[in-house]
Amino acid sequence: MSVYRISYRYANSLFQLALEKNALKKFADDAELIHNTLVGSKELRSVLRNPVIKLKVKKDLLESLFKDRIGSDLSGFLNFIVEKNREEILTEIMYEFLNLRDRKEGIVRAKVYSADSLTDELKKELEGRLEKQTNKKVFPEYAVDQKLIGGFVVQINDTVMDASVKHQLELLRKKFSEDISVSKN
Amino acid sequence: MAEIRPDEVSAILRKQLAGFDSEVDVYEVGTVLQVGDGIARVYGLTNVMASELVEFPNNVTGMVLNLEEDSVGCVLFGESTLIKEGDTVKRTNRVASFPVGDKLLGRVVNPLGEPLDGKGTIQFEKYMPIERKALGVIQRQPVKEPLQTGITAIDAMIPIGRGQRELIIGDRQTGKTAIAIDAIINQKFTHTEEAKKYGIKPVYCVYVAIGQKNSTVAQVVAKLEEQGAMEYTTVVSAPASSPAPLQYIAPYSGATLGEFFRDSGRHALVVYDDLSKQAAAYRELSLLLRRPPGREAYPGDVFYLHSRLLERASKLSEDLGGGSLTALPIIETQQGDVSAYIPTNVISITDGQIYLEPNLFNAGVRPAINVGISVSRVGGNAQIKAMKKVAGSLKLDLAQYRELEAFAKFGSDLDKATLRTLAKGARLVELLKQGQYKPVPVEKQVVSVYLGTNNYFDSVDVKEVKRFEKEIHEFIELKYPEIFANIRSAKELKEDTVTLLKKAAEEFIEKFKKS
Repeated sequence: MSVYRISYRYANSLFQLALEKNALKKFADDAELIHNTLVGSKELRSVLRNPVIKLKVKKDLLESLFKDRIGSDLSGFLNFIVEKNREEILTEIMYEFLNLRDRKEGIVRAKVYSADSLTDELKKELEGRLEKQTNKKVFPEYAVDQKLIGGFVVQINDTVMDASVKHQLELLRKKFSEDISVSKN
Repeated sequence: MAEIRPDEVSAILRKQLAGFDSEVDVYEVGTVLQVGDGIARVYGLTNVMASELVEFPNNVTGMVLNLEEDSVGCVLFGESTLIKEGDTVKRTNRVASFPVGDKLLGRVVNPLGEPLDGKGTIQFEKYMPIERKALGVIQRQPVKEPLQTGITAIDAMIPIGRGQRELIIGDRQTGKTAIAIDAIINQKFTHTEEAKKYGIKPVYCVYVAIGQKNSTVAQVVAKLEEQGAMEYTTVVSAPASSPAPLQYIAPYSGATLGEFFRDSGRHALVVYDDLSKQAAAYRELSLLLRRPPGREAYPGDVFYLHSRLLERASKLSEDLGGGSLTALPIIETQQGDVSAYIPTNVISITDGQIYLEPNLFNAGVRPAINVGISVSRVGGNAQIKAMKKVAGSLKLDLAQYRELEAFAKFGSDLDKATLRTLAKGARLVELLKQGQYKPVPVEKQVVSVYLGTNNYFDSVDVKEVKRFEKEIHEFIELKYPEIFANIRSAKELKEDTVTLLKKAAEEFIEKFKKS
């Protein structure tokens, strides 16, 4: 079975539990912490993925890492995952869980790249525009990419809105490389 | 020294820039998860369509074939070494399509419509998707016009109609391509003013070369050019060196171009040379896409692969312009094994087949057609009346000859009737031999077959049959040209034409004996 399907199944059951207990916020915060820790630490990921290391060791490791930082529900879930031998896809499970949360709350995450750091005013305007367009709460993540030369690029899921100078130049190059005789103008 | 003024240059540049707007460009992307062997797995591209074209970096295009839960399987039309894991893939919102237009005639292109002959860009009319649904019953009508191949054996006994699908099958080196090329060359006549006078509409040809050597394709193109056949022909080439996905889509591209002619009320002939290589290319990419293999490791939908292609051959109803698309698929067998998977499939799909045999080929019977097992299931309706009349007894005579052929070695021990049948059969076989690139017009075919079946060759030595045929054609052309003209215009063998033909034949035989 594909990783996607397995992780979705685990994430969905955790999600249902969160809804039942009416503690989505707490669950999501914990999940985010676990997800970020896993993404941030390559060592942790490789320990979890290593089949030679005993389950007990992995369990203890996760417990000592997260014990005081997450609630009992999530730490129980971590134990359960390790017992089921699915610790290697823990990152994907957490990611799917956060996706489910986003979908429920009507949140979309956008990545905004710009050539220069944006002023707060601009950020606010951009967010407003994006929210209007997507009809959802937009949580943007800003990054500076000087290769863009000017303008900005917004990516929401798979859709890219490209208003960068770099892309314009590329389009221009493509246009000029076409034969003049075949261009429609 | 002549020079272009700078302001002229900038004027042209400005004109180019005129249509260029700098709005926000919205597109959808995905990320390459895995790449290799001409296949890429892509994450993202949530809204992508099946068989949509996608853009990879470094000007590589791909086509979406597998839509899965969490990833998309693409085949690449370029080098997979140019693509890395993590590269961005862009949607084009366009399903794989082929540029069509009259300007494609006389050109050699790849299955994406890009020129391969170095004659510059092609001005096309529009893009048409390469996968189109075949027409339904309402839009069609029975095949009724003949497609003359110029090969007497075929036009007389295995006639092909416009809109038919006739398979050419045989081992390697038996002259499969030669038949197809002859058929293309023979369409030259349909483009002349004379043909117009007789109400014969021009046939546009598409030659699809799949998995062939580039040198072979070049040879074919050179031959077509030499014979003046490139003017109405397009060659779509996916040589053996091109990636499997291109070889897989090549016949569909050819069919699309054929449909363009058909839909504009014209007639098209598409040769797929050959479909066994296409099936092998499709098998390659199916296995790489991890589709389960079936018989001979072909995927389960290999029948559909060919049936949906050949179903596109059709004769349109008069309401839709009456155009037609004739398909001549070619299949190469291994050691004459027609019961392999692909040959049986294509035999069952097509409206008949022309069998070529190495034994005949080596015995000097060229074209090496085995007329005993070659059939045409619909072409009979399309034959001109004159040919239909004379060909009936030809088939019978040859069948009788084959039955008795085994006794031929007993020589003088046989009774007279048997000897006569054998002698006649041997002369008919000789008569049906024909050189390559030497198509014979239908009226001459009719005369030859008439003379053959009515025992006019009996007095001629077997070795002299070809010379006799050639000279009597010349004789009739000089002294009785009305015979040919009558057959051509009336399309049937009238009583007075027959009388005239008899007279001419007797007169010629006298002359021939003296020489």
